[in-house]
Amino acid sequence: MLAILAIGVFLFWETLPLLARDETLAFAKLSPLAWGTLKAALAAMLFALPIALGAAMYSALFMSARLRSRIKPALEMMEAIPGVVVGFIAGLVLAPWVERNLASTLVLLVWLPLSAGLAGVLWHLLAARWRQQMPLSWAGLWLLPWLACMVLLALWLTPHMEELFLGGDLRRLLEQHWGLDYATRNALIVGIAMGFAVIPSIYALAEDALADVPTALMEGAQALGASRWQALWRVALPAAGPGIFSAVMIGAGRAVGETMIVLMASGNTALFSASPFEGMRSMAAAIAIELPEASPDGLTYHYLILAALVLFIFTFLVNTLAEMVRLRMRRRYHKAGHR
Amino acid sequence: MSRFITVAHRRLLDRLWPWLCAASVALSLLMLTALLTLLLVRGLGHFWPASLEEITLRSGDVVAGQAIRETPLPQKIGNERLYFTGNRDIDGASWRWVDVDNIIARTTPADLIRLERAPWGDFIGRLESLEADGQRMMGQAAWDYLAAALALPADQRPTGQLLLTTADGQALSQPLSTTSRALAPNAMSWGQKTRLWGSSVWQFLSEGPRAANTSGGVWPAIFGTVLMVILMSVIVTPFGVLAAIYLNEIAHQNRLTRLVRIGVRNLAGVPSIVYGVFGLGVFVYGIGGTLDTWFFSATLPSPTFGTGGLLWASLTLALLTLPVVIVATEEGLARIPDAQREGAMALGATRLEMLTRVVLPMTVPAMLTGVILAVARAAGEVAPLMLVGVAKLAPQMPVDGEFPYLHLERKFMHLGYHLFDTAFHGEDVQAAMPLVYATALLLVLIVLVLNLTAIFLRHYFRRQRGNEC
Repeated sequence: MLAILAIGVFLFWETLPLLARDETLAFAKLSPLAWGTLKAALAAMLFALPIALGAAMYSALFMSARLRSRIKPALEMMEAIPGVVVGFIAGLVLAPWVERNLASTLVLLVWLPLSAGLAGVLWHLLAARWRQQMPLSWAGLWLLPWLACMVLLALWLTPHMEELFLGGDLRRLLEQHWGLDYATRNALIVGIAMGFAVIPSIYALAEDALADVPTALMEGAQALGASRWQALWRVALPAAGPGIFSAVMIGAGRAVGETMIVLMASGNTALFSASPFEGMRSMAAAIAIELPEASPDGLTYHYLILAALVLFIFTFLVNTLAEMVRLRMRRRYHKAGHR
Repeated sequence: MSRFITVAHRRLLDRLWPWLCAASVALSLLMLTALLTLLLVRGLGHFWPASLEEITLRSGDVVAGQAIRETPLPQKIGNERLYFTGNRDIDGASWRWVDVDNIIARTTPADLIRLERAPWGDFIGRLESLEADGQRMMGQAAWDYLAAALALPADQRPTGQLLLTTADGQALSQPLSTTSRALAPNAMSWGQKTRLWGSSVWQFLSEGPRAANTSGGVWPAIFGTVLMVILMSVIVTPFGVLAAIYLNEIAHQNRLTRLVRIGVRNLAGVPSIVYGVFGLGVFVYGIGGTLDTWFFSATLPSPTFGTGGLLWASLTLALLTLPVVIVATEEGLARIPDAQREGAMALGATRLEMLTRVVLPMTVPAMLTGVILAVARAAGEVAPLMLVGVAKLAPQMPVDGEFPYLHLERKFMHLGYHLFDTAFHGEDVQAAMPLVYATALLLVLIVLVLNLTAIFLRHYFRRQRGNEC
């Protein structure tokens, strides 16, 4: 039992004496890595947050119970896919593809939400008989083919549009007009790949938090004349707020510590740049690359250990915060909801 | 903000936002299926014997090879196609991009063959004749002899010399002993192809890697992964289960246990690479180094336990997966109704008896779930292993006939690292790609099957409990 506590203490103790050495140098070496880590995590969160939270809201509030009991394991499966595999797909399949079809990718990022809205509009225009066949509670499933078609449509149309409006290659345009370099493995790719890896964990926690909100609250709000949107925005979200916050924190912690995806999908160049089309090198990736070759007493070894310590402290703080918030919220609802 | 939103806007939002949310579920599912389909198609498709083409170019060149993919030419109208042409010893390269417009004729002659050879990789061309046992066979007789010879185990094959020609007419003499497989995919029927596909998959699973990991199989990696995972579960199960029992049954539920519980959850969130650093610093350099100075000082400049190895890797991963086991077991313990415990105590059982006879048997499925989840996590984890003992190509298996049979200090191969290494550090990544896909598919399958088992077990367990209560 004590072993568990010992691990935390031991890791701390192990890295503590190393802090004494050459702090300025370590700082200079670590700061690009820290920047890379933050950039990667930020990119991942930008991609993952809307999707994960949207999915959580949908499945907690709208989805039919039967579909929900199927979808949750499916998303758990998504979490189980090893980082190496995601990184490999991102680095060797997605990255070259995006490089060739940059315009299509960017269009897709905008087009997909639009097409979902379009689906909603079309649905409301449909005859009631058809609407019965395709209820909103199953929309998560029957939107699949619709989205797939939309993706194909966008892929087919974009090259023509690119030709028409931009006069050829977007990548060349970027370079000439804004002086943006395009690296094959960049923050965009890392964002998508790591977002993919982070979505399920954020989703699971946020969904739990939303499902924990007593149904009486939502029903009460709607009975008082609030629309569902208002009920969600004004009642359910504030009530589940701490839980959602902890989900986001845990997701961020995972994104910061993820090694293999960044290692494989980013260019591993330690750069200071805010451009989404340039690579970066994160602390975790730097440790994985350099530590096996560092000699146990050298300077590199020490600064890498320092990086590990920083990672550890960061994730530890984030997780503790998230966990405390989550526990507090749960206790509150057990009192208030009393189901 | 709502003051500025008119009623019409609000109604629009009210109708639209569920669709955005529904679309995000659909999008996640879409990405998941796309990923799995990609892996399945590329991973399994590689083993299907693809037909070989012979193309004649406008310049008069004749090229034989397997068409891989087509991409649009930059700046110009038209496509170019990538061919795998093999014959690295003759042409200097085994890939060739061909402008589709330059192709005049495209045929699939039945006599094109593909040889798998030990140095230089595949040969694609024609078999002219075969010299063996002092006689010279031509055409079909030579092919039959070759097929029969290659069907024998490697040490019983006759010696001989193959006379080959490439598609553009260059001749090559190849000893029979250097070839491992010969195919004439254009002449094969569907049945033969399916059988061959089966045997290729089996070869992939059961053989060691060849040609700097660009061909051959992944058996040592599978073996290494499984062995490490077994060792890890042996270490992690008792610790995890004991810790969970202590937390849930023995300790008083107060502030301290709550803190410990938060700590355990926290450990699950610590990045795996940090565990790797910890393993390297404490196990490998700390404990391993000390062990070396005590017991293996004879060989000291070269470390025995002071370098990454099987034992340290399994210890590190055991640490990494400890929270998984603890959380799952605790969940199982918490679900046992208190009436069971009180009933046992009322019947005169001591606390220990109550724990071992009543509570523990009921938690076995939960423990199993935890261990399976731990195994699944460990099988997919690569980052910490890179630091504590995985090898690109291990010269010896960690288990052999030599005493003490299980060599804990040896480095081992791991599926995930094998995948990373071949995909990013290989010489000919293009050639290794199909194998990388296959490895990725295998890894994903293992992990998914383990996870599914855990989910079903948990589900089953819950339902059973539900009926009892």
